[in-house]
Amino acid sequence: MAQLISIDPVTRIEGHLRMDVEIDGGVVKDAWSSGTMFRGIEMLLKGKHPWDAQQVTERICGVCPLVHGTASSYALDDALGVDLPDNARIIRNLCLGANFIQSHVLHFYHLSALDYVDVTAVLKYSGNDPVLQELKGKIAGLVAAKDPYPLLPRYESGDYVSDPDLATTLVAHYIQALEMRKKAHEMITIFYGRMPSFVGTIPGGVTTMPTVSNVAAFRSRLAELRDWINRIYIQDILTVAGVAAYAPFLTVGDTGGNFLAYGGFDQDSKGSEKFLPRGVITNGDIMNVQQFDETQITESVAYSWYDDSTDGLNPKNGKTEPAVEKSNGYSFLKAPRYDGQPMEVGPLARMLVKKPQMLVDLATKLNLLSNPPFKFGILPRHAARAIECKLIADEMDSWLNQLDLSGKIWDKKGLPDDSYGRGLVEGPRGALGHWIHIVDKKIENYQAVVPTTWNASPRDKDGVRGPIETSLIGVPVPDPDNPINVVRAIRSFDPCLACAIHVIHPEHNGVKEFRVV
Amino acid sequence: MGSKGVSRRQFLKYAGATAALLGLSEAMIPEIARALEGMTAGKPPVIWIQGQNCTACSVSFLNTNYPMVGELVLDKLSVRYQPNVMAASGDVATKVIEDTAKEMKGKYVLVVEGPIPTKENGRYCTFGLKDTMVPFFNGYQRREDKPISAWMDELVPDAAAVIANGNCASFGGIPAANDDVTGTTRVLDYVAKNDKSKVINIGGCPSHPDWFIGTVLDYLFYQKVPELDQYNRPKAFFGQLIHENCERRASFDAGLFLEDWNDNNPDLKLCMFKMGCKGPVTYADCPTRRWNSKVNWCVGANAPCHGCAEPAFYKNLSPLYEPLPDVHFAGISPLPDTLGWVAAGATAVGIGGHYLYKQLGKKAEDGEE
Repeated sequence: MAQLISIDPVTRIEGHLRMDVEIDGGVVKDAWSSGTMFRGIEMLLKGKHPWDAQQVTERICGVCPLVHGTASSYALDDALGVDLPDNARIIRNLCLGANFIQSHVLHFYHLSALDYVDVTAVLKYSGNDPVLQELKGKIAGLVAAKDPYPLLPRYESGDYVSDPDLATTLVAHYIQALEMRKKAHEMITIFYGRMPSFVGTIPGGVTTMPTVSNVAAFRSRLAELRDWINRIYIQDILTVAGVAAYAPFLTVGDTGGNFLAYGGFDQDSKGSEKFLPRGVITNGDIMNVQQFDETQITESVAYSWYDDSTDGLNPKNGKTEPAVEKSNGYSFLKAPRYDGQPMEVGPLARMLVKKPQMLVDLATKLNLLSNPPFKFGILPRHAARAIECKLIADEMDSWLNQLDLSGKIWDKKGLPDDSYGRGLVEGPRGALGHWIHIVDKKIENYQAVVPTTWNASPRDKDGVRGPIETSLIGVPVPDPDNPINVVRAIRSFDPCLACAIHVIHPEHNGVKEFRVV
Repeated sequence: MGSKGVSRRQFLKYAGATAALLGLSEAMIPEIARALEGMTAGKPPVIWIQGQNCTACSVSFLNTNYPMVGELVLDKLSVRYQPNVMAASGDVATKVIEDTAKEMKGKYVLVVEGPIPTKENGRYCTFGLKDTMVPFFNGYQRREDKPISAWMDELVPDAAAVIANGNCASFGGIPAANDDVTGTTRVLDYVAKNDKSKVINIGGCPSHPDWFIGTVLDYLFYQKVPELDQYNRPKAFFGQLIHENCERRASFDAGLFLEDWNDNNPDLKLCMFKMGCKGPVTYADCPTRRWNSKVNWCVGANAPCHGCAEPAFYKNLSPLYEPLPDVHFAGISPLPDTLGWVAAGATAVGIGGHYLYKQLGKKAEDGEE
């Protein structure tokens, strides 16, 4: 018999996410994705000094501050007519790249790995590695003291990786990864002062000029991370992807074949060449990457708690008017659409647009490219993230060489009386856009369309589900009390809800009722 | 050997790091080691919940060096609920909170990240589910969302201590700029009806891992809430003005200000005041503690301090890149307590840095522009 289960909170993501799934015959038949917290970041910017924008918007999210601050700086650059110095462009790329490394490592080990690894298998470790033996002793102590938090409890499942040697190694890598992601944050800090909530980008450039000393400090950490990514992260992904029990997850979790990438890491001052290319894929036709057209972005609010009159607007002129009494509303997320279609954004979208050889080889080996329409599920999403992490880390070293130690880092420009600006970038979680309208040297309107808003969006005016909702259909749930596969699928997107729900319009008087109907 | 396979040497190193973090003498290390060893028998349970947060304070927590986050989370604390790291989801996760609250009554430390919205019965921030049913799609009923305010009502009275981690939990921060809509409430105000004295505010947007972890260790070591200032902040970390300890103070005194970022030769260490630095009104130990394994800090990156540790942040410190309001440079005195700000356009009335600080803090207290 069909039944509805509600998972709240979905943990090991950023933010407050509830997932309602209808289960019939042991598989998910339908799904509804709801964000359950909001603050109102864009609105408080109205009337503020435009320079405040990147400091405020990076606090949309403490996991992705770097990418918001960067998008905001590009939006300001655009509005002010900045001619960005090469040094500033490269330093922004380097810090954004370091943030990709930090975020991707954090996501696989600290947010996802506990979905696949049985930590209790460590107790059966019988090898001689002293580090792993110490780890075994530590976990044995926790279990003996009946205090195994936060590693247990968990959703129980029969398919966790339980080989003692393998599980122990993966748990040891989890702990190593804590240090690795911290080093990636230190790299950003070298130029940007601190993380999270950095201070190193400004409209027109960056604040720290490259020196022999800071370039060397950056490069030494990068070398260590590249080595670790190649030896450990990539290998662990291949190991998990090769577990026989997880074979269905190669295709389960597919979103229907629509992918969008704004592209990122400008390789010239005009941004005409990007290390991660821009492009659109529809209906799984990955060989046909289409041109991206910014005007095709609209936001539907048919199932979101916003006024229906604001449906279908382009974010440049976007409006946010809450209408929480709407009977068919079920999320604070809007539903962004491209040419009317839901789009998956993120590492998988970017890697399918770029098609690096490493990805093509792996997809061929995993038999994902034999019969169109191709499907890419939970595991390809993780693999694309790891491959992207490696590609960016390897490329960053050459960017360091392009820095000019005597070059400019800032193009000083005054504030305009009336000007629009937009910054389209790629963050670890996907395509991010910031739009600003400056009037009388103050912020008149600020809008952000964020990766998780694309991925975790509710249904649109045509009733079409958002990508995560679609991905869950067909996911096996043999035990409704332990819907491990549902959270595995959700986490493969690396959702960030604080990012996704960042809007409110306080002047609207309609915010009086809040009903879930 | 200490407990759980940790060597004596590691343990003393750990105790030494704890002493350094708390600003204690090295002579205290053996005593700290004994206290920490004693604690391992029954690790204090921690319930870490999130309101209108952005998770930066959790990410910042992961950037700790001494103790390492792995040691802290597994060896020293019993982190029962922390939504970004815990294995469990859904009912399995929230049951841990319920069980801990029941079994460890009066013993658990409640950490709150992000403020508490109170309007519309708290519906602007919910996690977990109640037993009451509400209508849903396809003819289904689903369990109703549980507001964080309801969790606070349940968890605060029996908490041994409540730590507001970060500026917005402590002072409202960025979400408070829309408090008229969501009814954003600081943890201290929310708890006031119960027991204000057990609330510890850790400022910073985000909080520095040392500020948070140092406070936790201090609490564990002394088994009481540390000495707090007027804003319930631990004096150990928020007792000194950034401006007084700034590595660029000499440039301020000499009138050497950064006015073009292309002139930022690192050897010059130009003062960031004219670029909007809020160091003269911000109490925190950033200049000496620094951030991210001491790699850098905001002013070290040629950027102004934005005052994120202050109750006035963000609303009353905006615009962030303009010099502090209503002051200019005539009659500046280098003496710390008589920073001779002169109100622009008025007769020469010196406003001490501390006075200005109090005024900005007061504005935040009053919730006014």
